[in-house]
Amino acid sequence: GETIQGLRKSLRTAIDTLSRVDSSVAVSSGGELFLRFISLTSLEYSDYSKCKEIMIERGEIFLRKVSLSRNKIAKLCHPFIRDGARILTHAYSRVVLRVLEAAVESKKRFSIYVTESQPDQAGQLQTCYFHRQKMAKALRKLNIPVTVILDAAVGYIMEKVDLVLVGAEGVVESGGIINKIGTNQIAVCAKAQNKPFYVVAESFKFVRLFPLNQQDVPDKFKYKADTLKTSQNLTEEHPWIDYTSPSLITLLFTDLGVLTPSAVSDELIKLYL
Amino acid sequence: GELMDLIRTEGQRMTGAQPSETTVGNMVRRVLKIIREEYGRLHGHSEESDQQESLHKLLTSGGLSEDFSTPYPLLRANVIEAINELLIELEGTTDNIAMQALEHIHSNEVIMTIGYSRTVEAFLKEAARKRKFQVIVAECAPFCQGHEMAVRLSKENIETTVMSDAAIFAVMSRVNKVIIGTKTILANGALIAVSGTHTLALAAKHHSTPLIVCAPMFKLSPQFPNEEDSFHKFVSPQEVLPFTEGEILAKINVHCPVFDYVPPELITLFISNIGGNAPSYIYRLLSELYHPDDYEL
Repeated sequence: GETIQGLRKSLRTAIDTLSRVDSSVAVSSGGELFLRFISLTSLEYSDYSKCKEIMIERGEIFLRKVSLSRNKIAKLCHPFIRDGARILTHAYSRVVLRVLEAAVESKKRFSIYVTESQPDQAGQLQTCYFHRQKMAKALRKLNIPVTVILDAAVGYIMEKVDLVLVGAEGVVESGGIINKIGTNQIAVCAKAQNKPFYVVAESFKFVRLFPLNQQDVPDKFKYKADTLKTSQNLTEEHPWIDYTSPSLITLLFTDLGVLTPSAVSDELIKLYL
Repeated sequence: GELMDLIRTEGQRMTGAQPSETTVGNMVRRVLKIIREEYGRLHGHSEESDQQESLHKLLTSGGLSEDFSTPYPLLRANVIEAINELLIELEGTTDNIAMQALEHIHSNEVIMTIGYSRTVEAFLKEAARKRKFQVIVAECAPFCQGHEMAVRLSKENIETTVMSDAAIFAVMSRVNKVIIGTKTILANGALIAVSGTHTLALAAKHHSTPLIVCAPMFKLSPQFPNEEDSFHKFVSPQEVLPFTEGEILAKINVHCPVFDYVPPELITLFISNIGGNAPSYIYRLLSELYHPDDYEL
């Protein structure tokens, strides 16, 4: 017969395969979380087939909760957007989009500045163009006035902006975030000009990392999976993500509620207790 | 379930009447939490589980939140008892805070405060019994409650000086500590306090003077400063510019805001009836006092 151990092993291999194809923080943290409750289930039920049933059931519940989480976050976050606000956001984030949709639904008028969020390799101009237009196009569909700005223009535009709203690929234990490269710059500029910096992220993105500086972020997240496999010298590759420290973040909006960065580690501990 | 709905409707009416008095809403939420706890205890759950949303709950809970429809005859007595405990706690808050005074105030210190706060008054009086120190009170125009504070403090033989709000920064370099009261504490650790407090806090930060806030726990509100200015209260500008100055009044706009917002980075310590806490710890206290479902009354 099959065993829990076997199931665990096959799940692990599945997660590894996934991360080898698309090295994103969210995939790995989501996988980690799911694996976590395999071990929790196995403690409660010793009968294998029953265990499997419960796991499938819980998997569905997990899926359902996760898909609801974006709406929860939007409900929490949209009161923070005032009428007439000017918002700066970075790259393409579906959570941010949902929040802005909710704000539009509650009849607020605001305008958005989106950064281009260039990948650094010139050869990928095609994708970069597509990427930035993705966010701007989606926003225009909602009838929000959008301005696309250069990444370098963030410091210039910061004085006009009322708040900064970004998504996150991962939220680390210290309360900092891992997000598309350029986010750290925006956070530093926002801090310098005293603008609130809000982060929206679902709770499955909480990851058990504690980077103390940019170098501490593991390479497998920084570079795309195929780059890791093919390139000889990683120092010549440009990273795709950076780490923003918690002192630069004002508030995090998650489906667990509105959290200050110091509350994040508490939430993580509660999980792994 | 019905009881909670009743309380919630009443709470909504009361907070709707005067949104700046957040204490009303806070107490309603406390009572709701008490009811939940008592119900949970009777229902057989342990106290810590089922309270908060957490990643853990995300993974393990089998279904949606519990509904409170099962009636229990003991529930009423338990809830009443718990509410009585709450009342006793509320009455003792000022004394609890004052008891901690000796740890924070040392001899020959210069302490600064603003306006009139009964909590700070009790705090300083308690310390004055054993220590000798000076107090500088900013008068907090336009209502000048600082004057009343100074009179009361000097009755206890504390050396008090009153000065205008404009001189706060000038005097700050000689001050050892700033101790203030507040109207409300927000969920991110920020304050809503009398106007003039933000200036005081910035001056203290500039001189690296610790800013201590004495406030009982019932002032802690789970709301965030979402800038809809729902907290702001404006009163008659009579205090700023009297109606006798009729000619000028036609040409200018006069405002008299009552409250100020002080961001959490400027605050060093919160002293409340349950002890001293850092502003970054406020979220934890929130989770102990109120249930997340009640944050939005």
